[in-house]
Amino acid sequence: MADYKYSTAELMAVTCSYELKDQELVFVGVGIPMMAGLLANKTHARNMIIVYEGGGMGAISRRLAFTISDNSTTDNALSAGEMWRVFADTQRGLVDTGVLGGAQIDKYGNLNTTAIIGDKTYQEPATRLPGSGGGNDIASLCGKTIIVMRLGKSRFVSKVDYITSTGYVAGGDSREKSGLKWGGPCCVVTDKCVLRFDKTSREMYLDAVYPGVTVEEVKDNVQWDLKTADNIIQIPPPPMDYLEKIRKMDPNGIILGGKTITQKESFDDFYHKMKKSYQETDIFL
Amino acid sequence: MKGNHDKEMSLKDAVGKFLSDGGSFSFGGIGAREPVAVAHEIIRQKKKDLTFITATTLDSSNILLGAGCIKRLEMAYSWIGVVGSGLNLRRAVEKGIPRKVEVVDYSNFAASCRFLAGAMNIPYMPLRSLLGSDIPKYNKDIIITNDPYSGDKLALVPAANPDVAFIHVQKADVLGNCQIWGILANDVNIARAAKRLVITCEEIVPTSEIRKNPNATAIPCYCVDAVAKVPFGSHPLFVAGCYWSDIPFRRNFMMDDSTQEGFEKWLDEWVYGVKDFNEYLGKIGRDRLQKLVEMELDNYKIPELR
Repeated sequence: MADYKYSTAELMAVTCSYELKDQELVFVGVGIPMMAGLLANKTHARNMIIVYEGGGMGAISRRLAFTISDNSTTDNALSAGEMWRVFADTQRGLVDTGVLGGAQIDKYGNLNTTAIIGDKTYQEPATRLPGSGGGNDIASLCGKTIIVMRLGKSRFVSKVDYITSTGYVAGGDSREKSGLKWGGPCCVVTDKCVLRFDKTSREMYLDAVYPGVTVEEVKDNVQWDLKTADNIIQIPPPPMDYLEKIRKMDPNGIILGGKTITQKESFDDFYHKMKKSYQETDIFL
Repeated sequence: MKGNHDKEMSLKDAVGKFLSDGGSFSFGGIGAREPVAVAHEIIRQKKKDLTFITATTLDSSNILLGAGCIKRLEMAYSWIGVVGSGLNLRRAVEKGIPRKVEVVDYSNFAASCRFLAGAMNIPYMPLRSLLGSDIPKYNKDIIITNDPYSGDKLALVPAANPDVAFIHVQKADVLGNCQIWGILANDVNIARAAKRLVITCEEIVPTSEIRKNPNATAIPCYCVDAVAKVPFGSHPLFVAGCYWSDIPFRRNFMMDDSTQEGFEKWLDEWVYGVKDFNEYLGKIGRDRLQKLVEMELDNYKIPELR
C-alpha cells in the first residue's frame, strides 16, 4: 500500500494510460479515457497522437476537453478535420487503439450504450441511453480497443440487452464471421481490476487486481462465473509523478471529480476557477 | 441554382420560410457550433412532426425533443454530454412525454456516411462498421450484404438528404461563403446533402476577407439559401476562437430539466418569454458573455479571427 491517497478514478486513468503506447494513433472518449490519453501523452507516450470524433487530431490543448468535439480538441492541433474522415481513416486501418466505456458488458466484450430494455421493447425501453455515438465504429474498426468501466453486477452481465459496440460476439471466431476482419477488445480496465480476453475462446478473464482487492470481490461483481488467470498480477499503486500530472491537468476535479457539474457555484466562481486552471496549464505545452 | 447574391435575412424569416411541419432537417456542429439559436426559433414557431437527422447533437436537439417538435429521430447519439443525461430524450422514448418519438439508431460513422452519400447524390454508402451488432437488427434501413467484387460483408446505409440544414459558423459573407475554425464535424457534407441550407454566423465579413484564405471556406455560396447574423448563436455551447461553454447555465438547465414541468418552465423563461435570441442574450447578460469570450481567448487563439 502506498502511503499517499488516490481515488479509484485516478487509479483507472493511470492503469488505462499504461495500455497506450508511444507512436500510436488513439481514439479517446470523454472522462477517464481522455485523462488516460492525455496522461500517456505527457509521460511514456509523448509521440502518441490523440484523435477525436469531431475531427480534431494531435491537439496540445491548453485545457481539458469537455466533449469529443469542443474547442480544445483542435487547440494547437496537427489537423482539424471532419468526422467522416477520421472514421474513414480508422476504416483504412490507420488508427491503432480506441478507448471506450459502456453501460453494460458481457463476457465477450460486447457493449451496450443504447438501451436497458428490461422486460419492455427497444422502441419503448426501461431506460433509453445516449446511443452508439462513435462507439460502434471504434469497436469495429480500430486495431484494438480498451474498455474502461466500473465493475458491478448490473454492468457486467451474462447477456447485454442490445449490442451497440461489437466485441467478440459469441466468442471463438464469431467476430470474424460477422464480417469484422480485425480488432476487438484487448482489456477491460475497472475500478477493482484489469480483465483480458482468452486468445481462443475470446472469453474475458481476471488478469490483475489493484492493491487490497481480492479475487472473490471481483467475482462477486460479475453476473457470470468469471475465469481467472493462473497467476493474478498485483497492480502496484499509481506512481506519484503520474498522480501529480493528473492533478495538474485537472486541478478542479472537473473530469475525474465532476465537480463543476455537481457543485452549485455562481458563474463568477466558475469563471475564476477556469481562469486559474488555465494559468496552471504549462504542463499541456 | 442558389446563386451568388445577397442572401442575408433574419433567423425568424429563414426558419419560417424553409422549415415546414412534417419536414426533415439537420444541424451542423457537435457540442461546438450547434445552432442553438435556430432550435429556440423552431420552438417559438411551434414547428411540429419533424424528422431530425444527425450523427451526434447535444443540447440543441435535446430541447427540441422536450418541446415536442420532433416525431422521428435518426441519430447515433443524443445526450447533454459531460454535464448530464439527455432527460428529454429519455422522457420522450420511455414514456412518450411530451410526445412519442421514433428513434432510428445509427453509429457516428454510419450517420456521417449518410451525409457523404447525400452530398455525392448516390443512394447509399457501404461501410465495414456496424457488423455483428444489434444496430442493423433494429434499424431496417441498414442492409447487410456482400461486396460483389470481394465477397466481404458490408453494411449499407441510405443517403440522407434533409429538406433543410442549419449550420452555425464563425464567419460568412452575405453570399453564403462560410469559413469554419476548429472541428468540422459533418458540416461540409451536410451543406451539400441538404435541399435547403440556412447559415447562422458569429460575424458577417466582406467577400474580400473570404478571398484572403480560400482554403478555409468549408461551405461555398452555391450551397447556401440564407445567411443570418446571430452572434453567440451557440450559447451555452462552444464556438472555437469565439467563446467557451457556459457550464453553469447548462448545469442549472439540468436541474430544471429533471421533470417535464421544470423543463416547460425553463422554456417559458428562456424561449417563449423572449421575442428573439437577442433578447435571450440580453437576459444572460453582456458581462457574462464577455467572460465566456475571455475564457476562450485565454486558450484557443485563431490568428485571423478577431
